[in-house]
Amino acid sequence: MKRIVTDTCDGIGSGLILAYRSFASLPTAPRILKRVVEQAYLGSYTSLPIVVILCFFIGAVLALQTGISVANLNMQAIIGTLVGESMTRELGPVMVAIILAGRVGSATTAELASMRVYQEVDALVTMNIPPERFLVLPRLLAVLLFMPFLAMTGIVIGWLGGMVVCQFVQFIDVPPEVYFRSLKQFLSAADLTHGLIKAEIFGFVIILTACNTGLRTRGGPREIGASVTRSVVLSLVLILVLDYFITKVLA
Amino acid sequence: MNNAQMSARVGFFFLIGCALLWITYEALNGGSFSRQQGYTVVARFNTLKELKPGDDVRQAGVRIGTVESTRLGAGHAEAVILLNEGTLVAQDATATIAMAGLLGGGYIALDFGTTGSGTVAPGGQLRTRESADINTLLADLGGLTGDIKNAISGISGVTGAANGQGGLFQKLDTLVTTNSENLTRTIDNLNAITTEIRSGRGTIGRLINDPQAHDELLAALAEIRAAAGEARTFVVDTRGLVDQVKSGQGTLGTLLYDQATADNLKLTVANFRDLSTKLNSGQGTLGKLLTDEQLYRDVQGVVRKADRALDGMSDQGPISAVGAAAGALF
Repeated sequence: MKRIVTDTCDGIGSGLILAYRSFASLPTAPRILKRVVEQAYLGSYTSLPIVVILCFFIGAVLALQTGISVANLNMQAIIGTLVGESMTRELGPVMVAIILAGRVGSATTAELASMRVYQEVDALVTMNIPPERFLVLPRLLAVLLFMPFLAMTGIVIGWLGGMVVCQFVQFIDVPPEVYFRSLKQFLSAADLTHGLIKAEIFGFVIILTACNTGLRTRGGPREIGASVTRSVVLSLVLILVLDYFITKVLA
Repeated sequence: MNNAQMSARVGFFFLIGCALLWITYEALNGGSFSRQQGYTVVARFNTLKELKPGDDVRQAGVRIGTVESTRLGAGHAEAVILLNEGTLVAQDATATIAMAGLLGGGYIALDFGTTGSGTVAPGGQLRTRESADINTLLADLGGLTGDIKNAISGISGVTGAANGQGGLFQKLDTLVTTNSENLTRTIDNLNAITTEIRSGRGTIGRLINDPQAHDELLAALAEIRAAAGEARTFVVDTRGLVDQVKSGQGTLGTLLYDQATADNLKLTVANFRDLSTKLNSGQGTLGKLLTDEQLYRDVQGVVRKADRALDGMSDQGPISAVGAAAGALF
């Protein structure tokens, strides 16, 4: 019990210190711009296909489920509102964050853990290159830059998924104009900002967790796998727990 | 993959992401991206209720524009309406705020107005009318509920056992329960009667089922009608007679309506009564003749004597007969 508390506090503390040290070296950012671009490419561009596929089907399923429920009530016009609101405020950011944790977070942890295990991090320290600046800061900057765009893509693709279902499923049969009109009717720019802020916080927390878990790996190559598992699980838990509190604060 | 290619892809993704963000924000804010061509007019209301920028403006249900903005004027609220290009609204078209659905949201509903009254110019003002708010309606409904409750309690007072004595229904129930046997019997009887009637038995049955009876009935009715016609004639005649009597014509009329005749009659009756009284009491010659037995015998004797004398005189001359009669009498 004592160990769990100690480990939890250790994890939170090391994560905060890692974030602080990384941003302390922010003035050197121009020098690591190339690495930021590289991380952005790996994090966003290569994640696009899976984001598109996942969010399209999330939006489609949402529209389909709502359609089944409201078809008896003849209230198909609210499908647009429902899909729009839930994709924008909740499902878009959360889905993109889960993809990020699974795809980018795990890769980051694996990379940093192996660097730690094979003493590359020690070599960097020996050469007076802080690993926070060289390894962590580019990833954090990259995720902060691309996360809103990735979330935005996910949200819009989700809307389109709902639209396709509304148009082509026979018992729903809502034309795109009606769908988007009802989507726009209750959706405000504040809702979108809400969703994007959420996505930004999720992205930052995922990458910070991944880097922290990776750099704190101790022992041999077997620990790399354990670290990756821990990183992904911790990220998913943090996403959903934070989701509640962020929603509460933003509401 | 070389660095340049990687940077290009990241740059491409960022450009697309930026464009997506901008488009979505503009669309949601009703900004320049979603702006349509057209002209604006102003509609003034006491309250705009749930109306907000971006809501529809519909004429007879067809969307002809959007609410561009809402603002407060002096003592009223104003909705600035962006009408689609080419849409003409009559000068006397009336705008009301309608509810888009139960979930809320509103739109401005315009009617057609009259043709020939001209059209609203860009920047002009629309005629408006306040419509009942759902809150007002619900408040009214609340009052109505109280009334309904009163009415229902009144009804239940009549029908239910609210006062502990058993209401109408209970009484009816008791009535039916206690008389169920009688009712059943009555219904059986009715059933038997209707069966008889249907099979053409009995007077009514025959009447209904037998064409001859029907014809006879019709003939009887015709006779009754003829009799009624005669009766009417009789009544008319009688009325004429009565009219004549009333106007004092004829014997009866004179008798009834002429005062002088009546007086004479009265006098005659009085005289007659006097006479009969005297007769009864034996006064006067006739009275004595009627009441006095002795006189009767005397007269009888005289008559007998006269008879005899007449017999005796049959041989004598007429003069001696007169002389003998006078001598016997006096």
